[in-house]
Amino acid sequence: MSESVILDIDDVCIRYGDELAVRNVTLPIYEKKITAIIGPSGCGKSTLLRSLNRMNDFIHACSQDGKISFHESDLYSNTTDPVEVRRRIGMVFQRPNPFPKSIYRNIAWGPSINGLGGNMDERVERALKQAALWDEVKDRLQDSALNLSGGQQQRLCIARALAMEPEIILMDEPCSALDPVSTARIEDLLFELKENYTIVIVTHNMQQAARVSDYTAFLENGVMIEYGITEDVFTRPENKRTEEYVTGRFG
Amino acid sequence: MKDQVVSNLAWRHRKAAAFRYFCIGVTMFAVAILVVLIYQVTSLGMPWLDMQFLESFPSRFPEKAGIKSALVGTLWLISLTALISIPVGVLAAVYLEEYAPPNRLTEFINLNIANLAGVPSIVYGILGLAIFVRFFALERSVISGALTMSLLILPVIIISSREAIKAVPGSLRQAAFAVGATRWQVVRSHVLPAALPGVITGVILAISRAIGETAPLIMIGALTYVAFVPEGPMDEFTALPIQIFNWTSRPQEEFHELASAGIIVLLAVLLAMNAIAVYIRYRGSKKSS
Amino acid sequence: MMQPAKPRYLENSLQVAFFMCAAISTVTTVAVISVLAFETYGFLQQVPITEFLFGTEWTPLLHPKSYGLLPLLAGTMLIVVGASLVAVPVGLSCAIFLSEYASERTRDILKPVLEILAGIPTVVYGFFALTFVTPLLKTVLPQTQVFNAASGAIVVGIMVLPMVASLCDDALRAVPQSLREGAYSLGATSFEVTTRVVVPAGLSGIFAAFVLAISRAIGETMAVTLAAGATPNLTINPLEGIQTMTAYIVQVSLGDTPAGTLTYQTLFAVASVLFLITLSLNIIANRVMKRFQEVYE
Repeated sequence: MSESVILDIDDVCIRYGDELAVRNVTLPIYEKKITAIIGPSGCGKSTLLRSLNRMNDFIHACSQDGKISFHESDLYSNTTDPVEVRRRIGMVFQRPNPFPKSIYRNIAWGPSINGLGGNMDERVERALKQAALWDEVKDRLQDSALNLSGGQQQRLCIARALAMEPEIILMDEPCSALDPVSTARIEDLLFELKENYTIVIVTHNMQQAARVSDYTAFLENGVMIEYGITEDVFTRPENKRTEEYVTGRFG
Repeated sequence: MKDQVVSNLAWRHRKAAAFRYFCIGVTMFAVAILVVLIYQVTSLGMPWLDMQFLESFPSRFPEKAGIKSALVGTLWLISLTALISIPVGVLAAVYLEEYAPPNRLTEFINLNIANLAGVPSIVYGILGLAIFVRFFALERSVISGALTMSLLILPVIIISSREAIKAVPGSLRQAAFAVGATRWQVVRSHVLPAALPGVITGVILAISRAIGETAPLIMIGALTYVAFVPEGPMDEFTALPIQIFNWTSRPQEEFHELASAGIIVLLAVLLAMNAIAVYIRYRGSKKSS
Repeated sequence: MMQPAKPRYLENSLQVAFFMCAAISTVTTVAVISVLAFETYGFLQQVPITEFLFGTEWTPLLHPKSYGLLPLLAGTMLIVVGASLVAVPVGLSCAIFLSEYASERTRDILKPVLEILAGIPTVVYGFFALTFVTPLLKTVLPQTQVFNAASGAIVVGIMVLPMVASLCDDALRAVPQSLREGAYSLGATSFEVTTRVVVPAGLSGIFAAFVLAISRAIGETMAVTLAAGATPNLTINPLEGIQTMTAYIVQVSLGDTPAGTLTYQTLFAVASVLFLITLSLNIIANRVMKRFQEVYE
């Protein structure tokens, strides 16, 4: 395969105080592919994901070893600006977290503080269309985002991330707070987004990982047990633990 | 990292850093003011603070003046206030948390308590003057003062006790009910003991508020010149903050120094009570975690 | 077989007793309102309400007597405005520091300090105003009078500062962490996250804190009595002596005023206005606070 690695995770350990949450994980993230990180809850998959756009910086007890390279430059070097990192690596969270502002302001806020040029109205429309939310909200862009349903709020949060035109979108169990219909819509969305974006998605829903991702990494107790092409991981796992997990015998 | 088109980042970082330093600076400034305050109000009185100051009655001559009557008056006032307000306040909290049906009357009582907590203390003083001093003809006695103070701190006691009772896990109540306890048995043997550290903390803080209150006592006419100690609840009295007010409002420097010495005693008492409250809360939170 | 339920006399009587304890709060409110209303009615029988509310002279203890509340209201407002100018910006900045920047350890130190400061009796602040703030003002601005509104306003501002900081801190901390993370994930700096997302999201809680602070400043008595003076004065010059509503009440009570006289009734008339203003402010603040808490559960 001729894919290029956009994000290279090399021997990363993450500690919460004394507890080792992620142990020596090495993992490539390929450009314009969907990589799923699966594993039982508390296995360190969210922690790993949050280290990819330096969201763990806000947790004081959190410390990290190893190297993460983004376009071959060190994400954690002293000269790297975490704000710049997050500008280019967006994130969608487990629970929808729209700002208590209008739908329009939710989308436009990121681009406006970061001084992104171009026509803002067009940018908002493009983002909402990409997130498949435009038709539902185009007549009420000035309404509060808090009036949207949970599924709509989560698509709004995806649109908010897309409006920044990031290179990578990190998704932390984006469907865990949603009903099945909203979940299906977001999964459809992921296929479309793959055309233009690199996506890393953390999920505890194995069907979801199998359906949407190109590559899958399986984590348990902070250790990466297995990594490979999704089909292989689910149909021909090399490790016994992976097999037990993906066939639903534990987790 | 690859260069980016957007180059406003340096400026934005400077703004963020400036704002952060601004907030730190303002906080440090506020703390500094408070240090100056504590120093200023206590430094003048240090030389005056001796046994003679504690054992003498107020006097026209600063060098002979002391706070004996004020100290004993405050002790009387606070003991009676505690005796009245603690049982009433804690039991009211028990009723509202454990017994009260969720109806309009309860809601009305809740609203009342919340609003009473914000009524200026001087209005309680007026109430005390009209009801206790005049209507019940208790005159300017310790008991008038204690009743007024009790009304003043009741909302504080009720609100903090409720918080403490609310924090007791429901599973504890259910476990007690499940072995056939009545509601009062559940409250007495399980809820109140579990809530006790929180209740005591709240009560101490409320009482320390009563110790420092001045305005309501002036309203009910606690005398500012009392050269005797009260011997019963119907006696006239003065209190520490009143004595401080009296000395402060005189123009002579010596009286300001006396006021400062009184403030040292007052703050020492309050600080000790606060320390006890913080300690109890700290121990309570350690035990439960 | 189940035994039929016995009437539990102890249980029931206890419940009634507890209810009475809780009902005392309501009795207190009723008592406050009736006492104030009764005496104020008597007062308004002798002084027309228009003179009371709109008169510009307040000299009930001198001849010729006049009963215009405006000078007392103006004095109170001067204190409130001055105190807000001190407490609102400083308190909010402290709260932002506490909730957004301070480490857990710094918070653990500063929070109890705030609590202890909030517990310092107001008469102590009065002493501070008289012996420190006023002399300081006089050195900077020699035209400052011995008793002046500015000194009172500054110490009242310092006095309500811990409350403002503490309540604003609560409001900011009630803003869910997920909103901050959402904002940071879009490449925002801490300044942008705080001022454009966190503060706006906590605005109603912050507003409630300000309203409560204003209510406290209006009802504050001892510090303004000691520092701001006892001369009713319809002025906006903070360097002059003034008299607040509360200070008037204290002034009258320091003398011996027989019940039933007009002077005695002025106490209640002024207290009624004080009560109505602070009560409305508290109701507003409690409403806003409750709505705010509902938004974030």
